[in-house]
Amino acid sequence: MSEDIILEARGINKHFGGVVAVNDMTVQVKRGSIHAVIGPNGAGKTTFFNTLSGFYFPDAGDVYFQGEKITRLINWQRIQRGMSRTFQTPSIFPELSVHDNLLIGVQSAAKQAFRLHAPSAAAAREIAERIDELLGFVNLSNVRDRLVSELSHGSQRLCEIAMSLATRPAMVLLDEPMAGLAEAETERIMRVIRDLHGRLGLTVLFVEHNMRVVLSLAQAITVMDRGGKLAEGDPTAIASNQAVRDAYLGKEVLDHV
Amino acid sequence: MNRRHIGLIASVVTALFLALGPFIGPFLQLDISILSEVLLLAIAAMSVNLLLGYTGLNAFGNAAFFGLGAYGAGLGVVYFHLGFIVAILVGTLAGLLGALVIGPFLLRRRGIYFALLAIAFGQVFYFIAYRFTDITGGEDGKNFERPYLGIAAAHIKLSETSFYYVSLLVFLLALVVFWYIVRSPFGKTLAAIRQNELRVRYLGLNTDRFIYVALLVSAGLAGLSGAMYGMLIGFIFPLMLDWHQSGDFVLMTILGGAGTVWGPLIGGFIFVVGKDVISTITPLWQIFLGALFVACVLGFPKGILGSAFAALKKRGLLQAEPPSGEMKTPELAESKNV
Repeated sequence: MSEDIILEARGINKHFGGVVAVNDMTVQVKRGSIHAVIGPNGAGKTTFFNTLSGFYFPDAGDVYFQGEKITRLINWQRIQRGMSRTFQTPSIFPELSVHDNLLIGVQSAAKQAFRLHAPSAAAAREIAERIDELLGFVNLSNVRDRLVSELSHGSQRLCEIAMSLATRPAMVLLDEPMAGLAEAETERIMRVIRDLHGRLGLTVLFVEHNMRVVLSLAQAITVMDRGGKLAEGDPTAIASNQAVRDAYLGKEVLDHV
Repeated sequence: MNRRHIGLIASVVTALFLALGPFIGPFLQLDISILSEVLLLAIAAMSVNLLLGYTGLNAFGNAAFFGLGAYGAGLGVVYFHLGFIVAILVGTLAGLLGALVIGPFLLRRRGIYFALLAIAFGQVFYFIAYRFTDITGGEDGKNFERPYLGIAAAHIKLSETSFYYVSLLVFLLALVVFWYIVRSPFGKTLAAIRQNELRVRYLGLNTDRFIYVALLVSAGLAGLSGAMYGMLIGFIFPLMLDWHQSGDFVLMTILGGAGTVWGPLIGGFIFVVGKDVISTITPLWQIFLGALFVACVLGFPKGILGSAFAALKKRGLLQAEPPSGEMKTPELAESKNV
């Protein structure tokens, strides 16, 4: 595998009972790129995504991350190797404040989570600074002490993105980051995704339905249909691909681009 | 005045109140040994609280560790004539050892499976105590005289009042340890596991490891409680290991307020004193405690202290929410993957 491929999936298969959800999927994600996975409902995007992040294991095929085969690594082991993810419904700690939501991950990254005593003054300062930095990055400093369950859906998603950054990943996997968001909130998330790439230099792989978002953010797009790969390429190529248009995209969407 | 000050003052006042127990008890028609029982069973409830209230695990088998503690200490006194302090340490260690052995089987289970397996393991220990009559005395258990408190050369025979103060000391020590742990990074991670274990794993943490250590701490507390309780009554018997006993600890925890530091003491007080008072009136005391439990779960599921905190917070008297003790539903608990 070449140096500039951060994540590679080869021949991934996953079925649930008799239903084949993902069938022989192969994807290469370039280091430092924004890569989108799109496709109609039931195409197997999220299932594929879940085999990449270790939510479950594929029935066949292999996943390589930064040159290492991680097919059978448990989810937390993948995180320790520099991967990170969000979920369609923000996966957060509902009874904790925004600050404490971040604290759990920052503690983990600082190797303090297993301590039965309070962290040293130096470690505590480092943790506090890191939390402030993350809050600033997603622009949630003003609600740091609010319960995260009291925030809007979009803010919860931003909080989750910040949590996924706490472990200092090289790559972030975002599962439908715009799902259920209003227009203004979509803009906020788009800005943050651009910053993940531009300011932090991270690789971003995301599943998304909103074509406008995908075409304006992604540098590479993989189109899935019925569990397999239908097409792959840069946004211009995908937008003009006849098979993609037939399977998924409405004509009017693409004419706007 | 912030929550920390209020908490500290309330804790000190409660501790002073407990120190006056032997003087207050007679006014309430309460025998001093009943008050010792409250303190000691509260430690067992605390052990359930760490798993149930903080980590979100259905610790329905903690009597196993409680009973191991009692048998460890009791049999040590019967067969090896251990002194008081050594016997308590042996008992605590026995509880810990129990968790060390059954922990690996338990710690990948969640929700109802964790609960059932915990109960099942408890019953294994129960039947061992029940069957191995030659050593354990079987169903009849073993009587023994409370050993002397062997500190250096001083051999003090503990009266009921001095035993109460030893119990109070042990209880306060356990409480401080508990308080320290739940406020540590480790304890905060446990609370995060209760709320969303999957996210904790996706923050790069092996939650099984946290749960194992939580189980060990819990078993140590339960073992300590059992060892002290055996000393209190000078008697060990198989029902100490039984799942009914586990149920009592769960009841105390939820009654007092799961996920609160002082809840188990309040729950323990209501349970032990309620049992003592009601059982003098009617042999059907369990019906009344059962009704109280149902009323508690339906009316104020956060328990007495948890509901009190929630009410204070609503009136703006508390700034931050204490870890609430709502039980995680099995569906949520099962969301863990791989």
